[in-house]
Amino acid sequence: MNSTLEAIRTRATAAWNDYIHNGRPKVTVVLDTSSLARGAAATLDAIKAEVAARGLGVDVAVAGSWGFNWLEPTLTVRSAAGTRTVLYGNVTAERAPELVQATLIDGRDLPELAIGVVEGSATAEIPLLSDHPYMQGQVRRLMERMGIIDPEKIDHYLAVGGYEGLSKALDLSPEAIIKEMLDSGVGGRGGANFPVGRKWDFLRTATAEPRYLVCNADEGDPGAWVNRTVMEGDPHLIIEGLLIAARATGASEAYIYVRHEYPLAFDRMKTAAAQAREKGLLGKDILGLGWDFEIVVFLGAGSYVCGDETGLMSSIDSYRGMPRIKPPFPAQAGLWNKPTNVNNVESYANAPLILRHGAAWWCNLAPADQPEKGTKMYSLSGQIRQMGVVEIPFGSGTMRSMLEQYGGGMQKGSTLKGFQPGGPLSGVLPAADADLPLKLAPYRERGMFLGGGGLMFFDESTSIVDLVLWMTTFCEDESCGRCTTCHGGSQRAVEILRRIADGGGRETDLDKLEGIVQTLIWSNCQHGQLTPTAIKLALRAFRDELLSVIRDKVDPSHSLPGFIEYVVKNPADAALKEAVAICPTGAFSGEGASTAIEQDRCIKCGACKEVAPGAIEKRDRVIVYDAVEAAGA
Amino acid sequence: MSAEPTLQELRALVSEFQPNRGHVLPALHRVQHHCGYVSRDAIEVIARQLNTTPALIYGAVSFYSDFRTTPPAKTTITWCSGPTCRLKGGDRIREAMQHVLEVPLGGTDEAGQCGMSIGQCNGLCTEAPMVWINGEVTGGLTVASAIRLAREVKGS
Repeated sequence: MNSTLEAIRTRATAAWNDYIHNGRPKVTVVLDTSSLARGAAATLDAIKAEVAARGLGVDVAVAGSWGFNWLEPTLTVRSAAGTRTVLYGNVTAERAPELVQATLIDGRDLPELAIGVVEGSATAEIPLLSDHPYMQGQVRRLMERMGIIDPEKIDHYLAVGGYEGLSKALDLSPEAIIKEMLDSGVGGRGGANFPVGRKWDFLRTATAEPRYLVCNADEGDPGAWVNRTVMEGDPHLIIEGLLIAARATGASEAYIYVRHEYPLAFDRMKTAAAQAREKGLLGKDILGLGWDFEIVVFLGAGSYVCGDETGLMSSIDSYRGMPRIKPPFPAQAGLWNKPTNVNNVESYANAPLILRHGAAWWCNLAPADQPEKGTKMYSLSGQIRQMGVVEIPFGSGTMRSMLEQYGGGMQKGSTLKGFQPGGPLSGVLPAADADLPLKLAPYRERGMFLGGGGLMFFDESTSIVDLVLWMTTFCEDESCGRCTTCHGGSQRAVEILRRIADGGGRETDLDKLEGIVQTLIWSNCQHGQLTPTAIKLALRAFRDELLSVIRDKVDPSHSLPGFIEYVVKNPADAALKEAVAICPTGAFSGEGASTAIEQDRCIKCGACKEVAPGAIEKRDRVIVYDAVEAAGA
Repeated sequence: MSAEPTLQELRALVSEFQPNRGHVLPALHRVQHHCGYVSRDAIEVIARQLNTTPALIYGAVSFYSDFRTTPPAKTTITWCSGPTCRLKGGDRIREAMQHVLEVPLGGTDEAGQCGMSIGQCNGLCTEAPMVWINGEVTGGLTVASAIRLAREVKGS
C-alpha cells in the first residue's frame, strides 16, 4: 500500500464523514446537461434563496444524475439525523418553496413530487427507490455514486472508495494488472467488446517510447449520452481508470477526447484532472513513486468520424480528423506514430472497479461462457414515455424489456414499429425482433451490431424511408471525404432515398440501393463500411414497406412529404385566418370561401393544421405511377 | 471582443501554442471563443505560431463543423438534427424555420441579424423537438411555435 495515497484517502473519508454526520439536513440537486436543460440551475438558486430567506441551517449541494432524465430537475432531501433521504423529481423553481416548506420546515415528505425513498423506510405513498419499476433489474456500479457525491469534489470520490483501485494496482506488476483485466473479461464498451486487457498488453509490449493512452469520449452516436452521464456524474472514475492503465502499460501521457457538444463534461473532466494533479495523483513524481503521468483533456470540434479511433488520433496530432488506414494499428503507430491505446469512456471507467473489487466479483453477473461481462449503461430515446439512462448487467434484457420496463412503453396511443440498437451505423430492426437478447451475437448474425448504448425506439407514425434517409444523410454529412466509395456512395444513396420520399421511387431503386450497400462495405474505415447498415437492414426487414412506397405509392406512415397534402376543408372555420397567418411560405391563395392552398408552394410542414385543425385537412396524395419515367435511369 | 482584433492581439492570444503538440484545435478554439469566428488573419497567425502553412490550418477549420470563418449572426438558431427530434417532426420544423429566416443551414442573413446552424444530438431527447438559441435550449417545439420563434428572431 502506498502510504501517501492511503493518507489522502483517510483524510478525505474523515472530511466526508464530518459532512455527512454534521447534523444538518441536505438538499442535493442533480446538475448535469440533462437537468440544466430542464431548469435545474433555477431550482438550485430557488432552493438556496429559500434556505437563506428562512435562515435554515441546511447544506445545499450538487451531484450527478440518477438517470431519471424525464423527471428532471431531480434532487434529494436528507434529514438532519441522516436517517431519511428521499429523491424528488420535476422540482421546478416554482415548486422549490413548497418543497422547502414541507421537507425542511414541517419535517414531512412531499409525496406529490417523490420518486422514491433512498434511505429510510417506505410509506404508503412513497416506495423505496430500489422498489421503483425503473430501478428493477438495474445493477449500478458505474452509477453507484451518481446523485450522491459532488462530481467537482475529488474528496467526495476519495471518501467512497475512490482511488482504492489505483491503490491496489500500485501493489501489482503491469502483468498482474493486465491479468486482472483479462480475467474480468471486460470488453471495449464502444461496441466491439474487444478484450481491454489484450489491448493494454499490446501497448505494454510495444517497443517504442513514449506511449500514449487515449480515452474516446467523442460519443457521437445521436441518441447516446451514457458517456456524458459518466463524465458529468463521476469523472474521477475515468481519471483513476487512466492511471491504472498507465501503470499497466507504461504510458506517460493520456488524452481524453471530449466532443465539442459536451461543454459541461469537458469542464468537469478538466476540473477532475486539475484536482488529481493538486493531490499529487498526476504530474511529476506521482505519490513519491518517481512516476510521471499527465492527462490532457482535449476538446473536439464537431466531427462524427473522430469517434473512429484513427480519426480521433488524427484530430489530435494532425489537422483534419480523417481516419487512417489500418494496419498499422494504434498499438504500433498511434499518436505521433507512437504506440497508443484507445478505449471508450466506459471501458476505462470500469478499471477502478475491477482492481478494487477483483475480477471475480466484477464478472459475477454473467455465466462463465457469456462474452458480455459486467454492467452496461444504456440511454433510451425515441417515441417513448420515459427517456433516461440505466445500467444493467451486460447481456441481460431485450429491446422489448428495455422499452417496457425503463422506457415506460411507447408514447400515448402508439405501437412499436422498430428500433435502432446503437447509433446510425448500427442499423434498424422491426418490432418482431424486439425480443432478441441484448447480446452481441444475435445482432452480429443479422449483419449489424450493438453500439455504444443509445437505444432508440420508433412507432407507426415513422416512415422507414424517412428514418433511413435521416441516418444516411447523417453518414454522408459526416464522411471525411477521403474515399470516393464512402462520400460518393452515401451521396448517391441519399439522392435515391430522397427521391423515394418525394414520391418518385422506381422499382429499380431497390437494386441500386443493394449495389450501394455492396460497394460501401469496401470503404477504408468503419464509417464508410457501416454507413449502409441501415439501408441493408431496411431492404431486408422493411421490404414490404419500401415496395409499397416505391411501387404502390402508398405510405403506410402517412408522413412522407411526397405522399401527403394539406387542403382547406372548411373555409368557414374561424381559425382559418390563423392558418393563413402561420404559413411560412405564403402558400394560401384566395379569400373567404375560395381560400385554397397552392400545392407547389406548400412545404407540408403542417403548421396550418396545427393551429386550425377544423379548417385544414391532411390527406394522402394520389401519385400516378409513371411507367415511362420509372423506366428511366 | 467587439472590435476586430489586431494582428498583435491575435498573436498574443495563441502565443502559448507550439508545433507538433496537438495544439491545432486548442488554438482554433481559443480564437473562435474570443473573436466569435476564425478570420483569415487568425489562420495566418496560427499557421506561423505552429510553424505550418495557412492551407493546413484552413483545412482543419473547414473540416470541423463548429468553426466558422465569418462573424456569427446576432441570433443563431441551432437546429438539433438528432433522431428523437426527427421522429417528433424536427425536419418539418427545420424547413419551416429556414423559410422564415431565409437562410441556409450554416448561413446568416446579410444584415447579420439571424443565422441557422446544424446541431448534433447531445442527449437532451426529453426536450425533443428542440433548438438552441445562442446556445440556450428551447424544447417541446411544434411547427407553429417554431415558426413564431423564427419570426421573433428575425424581427428582433
